[in-house]
Amino acid sequence: MRIEQHPILDTFEKGRQVRFTYDGRELTGYEGEPIAEALHAAGVMVHRYTTKKHEPRGMFCAIGRCTDCVMIVNGKSNIRTCITPLEEGMVVETQYGNSSREDAQK
Amino acid sequence: MIKHYDLIVVGAGPAGLSAAIKAANCGMHVIVFDENQRPGGQLFKQIHKFFGSKEHKAKIRGIRIGEELLAEAEKAGVEVSLNSIVLGLYNLKGVSVMRNNQVEHFRGENVIIATGASENVVPFEGWTTPGVIGAGAAQTMMNLHGVMPGKRILMVGTGNVGLVVSFQLLQAGCEVAAVIDAAPRVGGYGVHAAKVARTGVPFYLSHTVVKAEGGDHVTGVTIAEVDSHFKPIPGTEKHFDVDTVCMAVGLSPMSQLTRMAGCKMIDNGGAVPEKNEYGETSIPGVFVAGDVAGIEEASSAMITGRIAALGAAGRSGFISDAEFTKQYEACVNSLNQLRQGMFCKANKGRTDILTTDEGYPLSMSLLTKGYMTEEELAKFTNLNAHQTGVHPVIECTQNIPCNPCQEACKFGCISVGTNITNLPGVVAESKCTGCGMCVANCPGQAIFLVNEDTGDGFATITLPYEFLPTPQAGEKGTALNRSGAAVCEAEVVSVRTNKSFDHTMLLTIKVPKAYAAEARFYKPEKEGK
Repeated sequence: MRIEQHPILDTFEKGRQVRFTYDGRELTGYEGEPIAEALHAAGVMVHRYTTKKHEPRGMFCAIGRCTDCVMIVNGKSNIRTCITPLEEGMVVETQYGNSSREDAQK
Repeated sequence: MIKHYDLIVVGAGPAGLSAAIKAANCGMHVIVFDENQRPGGQLFKQIHKFFGSKEHKAKIRGIRIGEELLAEAEKAGVEVSLNSIVLGLYNLKGVSVMRNNQVEHFRGENVIIATGASENVVPFEGWTTPGVIGAGAAQTMMNLHGVMPGKRILMVGTGNVGLVVSFQLLQAGCEVAAVIDAAPRVGGYGVHAAKVARTGVPFYLSHTVVKAEGGDHVTGVTIAEVDSHFKPIPGTEKHFDVDTVCMAVGLSPMSQLTRMAGCKMIDNGGAVPEKNEYGETSIPGVFVAGDVAGIEEASSAMITGRIAALGAAGRSGFISDAEFTKQYEACVNSLNQLRQGMFCKANKGRTDILTTDEGYPLSMSLLTKGYMTEEELAKFTNLNAHQTGVHPVIECTQNIPCNPCQEACKFGCISVGTNITNLPGVVAESKCTGCGMCVANCPGQAIFLVNEDTGDGFATITLPYEFLPTPQAGEKGTALNRSGAAVCEAEVVSVRTNKSFDHTMLLTIKVPKAYAAEARFYKPEKEGK
């Protein structure tokens, strides 16, 4: 959900529209905005599942402190998506424990 | 290679930038490190108008203050190094910084730590469910990136952060289901609460979250009233269908670097370094400024930043004793103005304050429901002179540090006096021209222009309005009272905008004159704000 019009802020500075994938699904976002913001705008809430209890986690602090929003980005795990800028063609995956594979936890 | 600076500042928020600007203007060679992509700290998320007086940049939105600070920093020749994580602060003020995946070493003759604060959380069942977010996260999403945090939100916390962010959520087009707080009194400014309440958002004081519901994301929340030990009372549960729970339950200083450096720590709303009047810690030449030294707000952070810079400049001989004393005293005077009134640190958590400094009885409805009753307001005889014709009606009833209304009126209608925590007073014998500058400039959106009788059975009310769509003259909608309840039909007479209002519209509505003292907000016929 993007804010189309805002009573105080005339515009939101945005990069060009780019495509990326989330768990294989193609999504669009704006270049340079945090990955997590593009995901949130597309309705993605779950970023990862915890290692031991397999509980969902999503964006919490949005400023890179809490690490709840880490995902696998371009094959690298534990990327804080709330402060990592989105790039064209990024491969973003849900993180299960430390892996991109759900069954790796079991 | 270790690079040397007269001053290294850690953190490019309001405190750090203000410190760097002041130090550079004293002739110091300054660098500022910040781990973020953009400077400004949290200022660029603060889209509301600030309190204080002119010297505190009152009535200016935080985002504009941020722009001003960046421009001043550039002009002063301050080097701001972004994407730079300060990893450590060691003996003799060595600073290790991670930039571009490499660790670099710096040494400062002085170091000012202005790392700010992080948000607190309160745990409850389901608190880790995606959709439970910090209030700062909500601000980051909606005010920086233009993304709505959720469709329907429960706000936890009635401090200024909770109240301000609730209003900003409404401005972003979200619905706020309720604002709750475990405390028995609204913790933030009454004027902030009132502008949320009049849009129809209910307040639940002495309530806590029992449970956030939902599997992979929040689908609802249950709250309950708490007893005097903050334990939920069975049978008082209330449920809300929400997709987001927003937490505004306080901040803690991010003082890790000071601890690492070996500064002597004390407890001041979290572990903070012990400091002297210039913000200097137990380690000579290591200073703290802003929230890391104790939670306040951005206006005082800017001043404590300047004070620390003066301390560093004085210590290293960049400023004469006379100039130091002059500037330091001005800063302290400015700071002291902000540190007074009902909400100052010394009064935090007090529930025994029953009257204003002037002796008017405080509105208990405002403190427990977020809005005032007409009976309570009527006791503030200073706020409404009931003149004939258009005149200001001020609904500012707590001693808060703020005086733009006095500055705004060029016709002498409003007086605060020299102490900025005084309540404003309407000067009965002055002549209001209806210009609306007071309405537009009041950071608390607490001033209305009222004409109690236009002669044809109607009254007009001019109110500050910061929502979309922009109402059009002639359209009809509903007038809401202070609690957000519909009271009567309202016709839009005019909508005034002006560059100096900075996006605050002056909306004049016409209502039957019986509602002149009641109608305080406007809801368009069509849904959506």
